[in-house]
Amino acid sequence: MPGTILENLSGKKLSILISVFLICQLACFLLGLIAPSPATTQTILATVCVDENPLSSRSATDKWFTRQCSKSIQLSDPKATIGLDANNLVFVTEMPLLNLDYSRWQQNLVGILQIDMVYQNEQKILNPMIELTLDSRLAFSDKTPNGGKTPWKYYSHAEEKRYMNCIFEERVEEKHGYPYNCTMVALFELGSLFHDYYLLNLRMPYNYTTKKNIDLGKVEDVYLHTIYMNGGFTKVWVSLKTVFFPILLSIMTWFWHRVHKLNRKPVLLEYMLISLGCTLAFLNLPIEFLSLTFEMPYMLLLSDIRQGIFYAMLLSFWLIFAGEHMLIQEHAERNTLKRYWKHLSTIAVGCLCLLIFDLCERGVQLVNPFYSIWVTPVGTNLALAFIILAGISAGLYFLFLCYMIWRVFKNISIKRSVLPSMSQARRLHYEGIIYRFNFLMLTTLICAAVTIISFILSQVDEGQDKWDETMDLELSSIIHTGVYGMWNIYICAMLILYAPSHKQWPLDPNCSDGEEVEFSRIPNESASNEISALTSLSAKTSID
Amino acid sequence: MRLKCTSTSKTKSSIVRRFNGTMAALPFVFCILVGGISINIAEAARRQQTNGTWMRMGMLFDDNMQNDQGLPSCKALPGLSPGQRRLCQLYIDHMNAVAFGAKHALTECKHQFHNRRWNCSILDDINVFGPVIFIASREAAFAHALASAGVSHAISRACRDGQLSSCGCSRMGRPKDLKKDWVWGGCGDNLEYGYKFTQSFVDVREKERKFKRGTREQGRVLMNLHNNEAGRRAIIKKSKVTCKCHGVSGSCSLITCWQQLATFREVGDYLRDKYDGATEVRVNRRGRLQLRDPRVTIPTAYDLVYLEDSPNYCVKDDITGSLGTQGRVCNRTSPDIDGCNLLCCGRGYNTLKSVIKERCQCKFKWCCQVECKTCVRTTDVHTCK
Repeated sequence: MPGTILENLSGKKLSILISVFLICQLACFLLGLIAPSPATTQTILATVCVDENPLSSRSATDKWFTRQCSKSIQLSDPKATIGLDANNLVFVTEMPLLNLDYSRWQQNLVGILQIDMVYQNEQKILNPMIELTLDSRLAFSDKTPNGGKTPWKYYSHAEEKRYMNCIFEERVEEKHGYPYNCTMVALFELGSLFHDYYLLNLRMPYNYTTKKNIDLGKVEDVYLHTIYMNGGFTKVWVSLKTVFFPILLSIMTWFWHRVHKLNRKPVLLEYMLISLGCTLAFLNLPIEFLSLTFEMPYMLLLSDIRQGIFYAMLLSFWLIFAGEHMLIQEHAERNTLKRYWKHLSTIAVGCLCLLIFDLCERGVQLVNPFYSIWVTPVGTNLALAFIILAGISAGLYFLFLCYMIWRVFKNISIKRSVLPSMSQARRLHYEGIIYRFNFLMLTTLICAAVTIISFILSQVDEGQDKWDETMDLELSSIIHTGVYGMWNIYICAMLILYAPSHKQWPLDPNCSDGEEVEFSRIPNESASNEISALTSLSAKTSID
Repeated sequence: MRLKCTSTSKTKSSIVRRFNGTMAALPFVFCILVGGISINIAEAARRQQTNGTWMRMGMLFDDNMQNDQGLPSCKALPGLSPGQRRLCQLYIDHMNAVAFGAKHALTECKHQFHNRRWNCSILDDINVFGPVIFIASREAAFAHALASAGVSHAISRACRDGQLSSCGCSRMGRPKDLKKDWVWGGCGDNLEYGYKFTQSFVDVREKERKFKRGTREQGRVLMNLHNNEAGRRAIIKKSKVTCKCHGVSGSCSLITCWQQLATFREVGDYLRDKYDGATEVRVNRRGRLQLRDPRVTIPTAYDLVYLEDSPNYCVKDDITGSLGTQGRVCNRTSPDIDGCNLLCCGRGYNTLKSVIKERCQCKFKWCCQVECKTCVRTTDVHTCK
């Protein structure tokens, strides 16, 4: 890669640019301050309604039980359940609670089921792995202008299997009425929260011959934990994207314009930089605005794919950047992706695995929001296989990357030792390459470290209880906006600093002293005959 | 050892922050926690207070109070103090939950103590437990803590049921909460809401009366406040934090956690352990609680405290309210408190041979059927003399 702005920029200008970046970074962190946490839960206790004739309602898609159903019972009351069958019980949850209604800014909804099961006297302790058969139906309703609700309309229906692991603490002497410790069960995932109200009618049918719910014990309560994105966070997030999108686009056009002003074809690294910018622009594109007017259940999948493409491009960029700064070129012909096929295939395989896994899970959820790949043993193995394969390719990738970086550093140290014996022009050329590489290494390492530390912090922060009212600070949202802003600034900085410089190379390198130190190189030395320059150099050192 | 009592809001928040933290690190602080609703204490103090306890609501709780059909009227509810009556009028829809919580607490008390000398005998009088509750004993400490826990549990549960109009997430909050409601980002936890409501509702009756510092009555007020707090905290202590990852491809880049309410049986077990380890305290001249025996460890806000020794529950005594253990069924082989030796207080026992038909080898069939065989066995039933 020929001379870039980074090498030709004066120390003063560089420091101004870096401080602008840092201020932008600070602004991103501060933006997180005003946002609420990314997601919140609402726990809903299911109302147990009695369906008097379950056979007729099995096929009907317009029969819905609401909280105000004609007969509701408490399962903990043994008298109330006399004469009832499992098919009679409908667990009703209206989402959301408390006279609220979902806003489209809330983006998506995850439903998790908690089944409180208690031990009954003289009942054999159950097999810890309980297979559940859940017949779930979802309906939706919207607000009407006069403050009412539209009638419930069918949204989705599925009978799915789930596994619940229950353990019973043996140390308890008085077993009757004591709860099992059961794991939660993921029930559904809605990719878009288009309607104002949702209604879940859940049945747990019993059938001995088809082995439906035969292991289930006495259930006292069924809770549905709903997780939704906070509208406030989405607003902050989307505005961050909306601000970054035009900035990035203008930087990209400026960069490409710069590249085309040179009378040569763009080199591989320039192609990589511009495609990295494109993937980030795709990620920044605020299509979330569309979800406010259109129902887009594929939003979750789309955002996964957008992020996946960006990460794949970023990883490839690092690899090729290291490769292009190896200083020693084995072939005269270079600047093609073919040379990196081995390294890039690890990224391709990893990303493809994750994409297939995602399509299997979230892609199917577009049709059936209750679907989960983890339920069947085949699905679990398949999902695990894809994830393990992706993990292996990630490992291989990092091995390749580390190996390349190690080689670059080795070459750099070799070059450093011979630098004083070089002619000044050639020395400055090599120093430029070393400087470029070290700068990117340093910033990348800082960005990666900040990302990793932030996410660890947010996990720790979320696991703790927040009972203090006085602390309104939302660490996880600060981290999300901050890290997102950081990668944006990183890419913008790369595009600006690694753009080709338009400065005329001074023929006399001796004049470059004072504050405006500029790296310069022999003007007629094209990149292709670098290898010959190196061989002559090594010959020279061996003579010495 | 001197015990400190402060009532500043700073202390409150520091306690609250450490809820699930290390218990030992907690200072033994009695706090006069001021609820959200101001109560005219002076006016309330002038009224006579002999209308029993609000726990009686649990005895009157029945099916027609259940669900959200038919709210009770505050005048009809028994045992409310003036401050509680005012809260009742403000939060009339919470009263079903309070009554349900009281009922749950009474049932749990009976369950936890069914084989002890004091078997949590519930009498049909306005004080629910009879005169026993006036003695500042371990049992009274347990009863107060359990009742407070019951209400806290029931309110948190009712929040999840959608019965209450004002919960952690509602839009009916005061204007200062509007900022927090940024498309629900400010939703508080229901456990926290239950804790705070119980704090105002249960503690208010203790704060309406003013007693001279260092008197027995003032000590009792402090003891009740402490045990009420311990009960509420038991709910939080026993709740579990559960998390779910829901980031890109289900990865943990986004993780959300919430509190999972424990069943009341677990809370009852926890509080019974606290009952067994309760600390005896006394009130000093400055109107603060102080350890009676300086060698024992200082109780935390999660522990129970009591002022007086328990009365003799072995023999019937109408003044203390003890029912005696005569006629109680005991276990001949047990060396514990339910064993005939201890339960009958050395008076001996009668043995009756009886044939019991009972259900055995049960098979549970979801949802509502238990298929059992009937077994007949002869056993000896021992009852205390």
